Amino acid sequence: MATANLHARVHATTVIGRRVLAPGVIVTTLEAPELARATRPGQYLMAIPPAASSAATALAIYEAEGKLASILFFITGRRTRELSELREGDRLDVLGPLGNGFDCSGGARDVAIVAGGVGIASVLLCARTLLGGGARVRLFYGARTRELLVDAQRFADAGCELIVTTDDGTLGRRGYVTDALAGAPAPETIYACGPSPMLRSVARVAAERGVRAQLSLEETFGCGVGGCWGCVVPISARSAQAPSFPPPELGGSDVLYARICKEGPVFWADELRW
Amino acid sequence: MVTLPKIAVTLGKLELAYPTLMGSGCYGSGEEYAPFADLGRIGAIVLKSVTRLPRLGNATPRLVHTPAGMLNAIGLQNPGIDWYLARELHKYAGRPCKIVGSVAGFSVDDYSYLCERLAARDEIAAVELNVSCPNVASEGETFGCDPALTSKVVRAARATTDKTLIVKLSPNVTDIVTVAREAEAAGADALAVINTVRGMAIDVETWRPRLGNITGGLSGPAIRPIAVLAVYEIAQAVGIPIIGQGGIENLTDALEFFLAGASAISIGTANFTDPRIPERISAELQDYLARRDLASLDEIVGKANFALSTADQYEGDEG
Repeated sequence: MATANLHARVHATTVIGRRVLAPGVIVTTLEAPELARATRPGQYLMAIPPAASSAATALAIYEAEGKLASILFFITGRRTRELSELREGDRLDVLGPLGNGFDCSGGARDVAIVAGGVGIASVLLCARTLLGGGARVRLFYGARTRELLVDAQRFADAGCELIVTTDDGTLGRRGYVTDALAGAPAPETIYACGPSPMLRSVARVAAERGVRAQLSLEETFGCGVGGCWGCVVPISARSAQAPSFPPPELGGSDVLYARICKEGPVFWADELRW
Repeated sequence: MVTLPKIAVTLGKLELAYPTLMGSGCYGSGEEYAPFADLGRIGAIVLKSVTRLPRLGNATPRLVHTPAGMLNAIGLQNPGIDWYLARELHKYAGRPCKIVGSVAGFSVDDYSYLCERLAARDEIAAVELNVSCPNVASEGETFGCDPALTSKVVRAARATTDKTLIVKLSPNVTDIVTVAREAEAAGADALAVINTVRGMAIDVETWRPRLGNITGGLSGPAIRPIAVLAVYEIAQAVGIPIIGQGGIENLTDALEFFLAGASAISIGTANFTDPRIPERISAELQDYLARRDLASLDEIVGKANFALSTADQYEGDEG
């Protein structure tokens, strides 16, 4: 979590594949060699709208390998619907890779990854990196219902131990994924991406168990590159991710708003003041 | 060799190689956009407004996307002028485009104090007075909504610097032309027309406002016709150049503003769609002028044929 956007630029990509993982859940694969090469776990891109004018869309980079990068997203509105309609051969310009992603360098041997819903899109590269380093990786994966637990097998195939939950009990344990996390043996460190209530629970569980957690936050983005200060989260002024600001005795504060797009999207749970 | 039409513009003493400014609060310091846009092909970056004291900014959420635009309520988050001058401003030096500082105050004295300190710096080519921020709890926008107060603020700031002074006007007034006239009379070199339009959105599931600040400022194509009208009316009333802004996304949008009377344009929200839009507009503008054998952008500023009524057109058709 250090030097965001050093390798970012505009990439003209071509769609080379599209998978429908579940109703309204799409993986679009892009030929984007330089983007794929530069991407680190937990980074995202801004997709420039291919058709009608509207703001660019922030999307987690799901896979990045060889010449290919992919995005996994849920259709939630006009902009994601437009992106879901891209087919093989279509062009898509993107800005990326963006943001400070997960720090996988801690050397932990036993880690937990917690993903909720579309949060799964941010953690595949993280899981692979950690597994590649020889760590035991338990994936706590929750969704509303069975069919929205997309691509779980992919994580199992990669070597993750899966613990799944659904809100309706159609697969795995019924209830919240964070309850499963709380009831399991404590890992050395936690990585998480999902809706804010889930991330708050992860932060609480991590604090209770004395484990540090990295959280990938989601918020409505404006520019997505740090220009507008629209996507912020309160953070300890002592955090390395806090913005440049005077100390409290000079009119500053112990808590400052950091940009999720630029200083994040990944933050240490114990540094957030939300 | 074919001479390309001239699109460089001069606003007061501010000479811009391209007629495009990046709207305050939309473009950071320029560093954020440098990987994605050619800063050598834009006119100027208007920096985020700085205030006398540090401001933490508004509670979240600060942004909501709306049909054809977005609402924001950032709340002038900034480290205050002392920290800004000591720790931030030097980073903006050496950009291939001009840097325009922006100041926001809560008293007449704030504006003159901030303007004097900012304008004294070599990095800063011009100063924009933000008398129209709709997103601060106290009277930030009051200055721009009151012609007499606008006049006082501009006069006070004018006394502190010879650099180009731009006054950014609020559309949230009964009569924007009167405010524009006062700003000109008080010594403004140019007018930025318009800031965001006040707005609001409510989440019908939670019954709560969708912005932490409850109200916000609307930008994007949704406000473009409001902005074009403001430019048109102000252009009839003042002699200083106008920077047209409000939902400009492409050449057509930009041309509307030039034809209405803007000498330059400012691009804000469209950078969130594609950071290459400003340089694309400049390139296409040059082509547009060349196709019409026009030597300069000046030749279209304010040249919409406002005299042509529908009745005239009807007669013409019959003839």
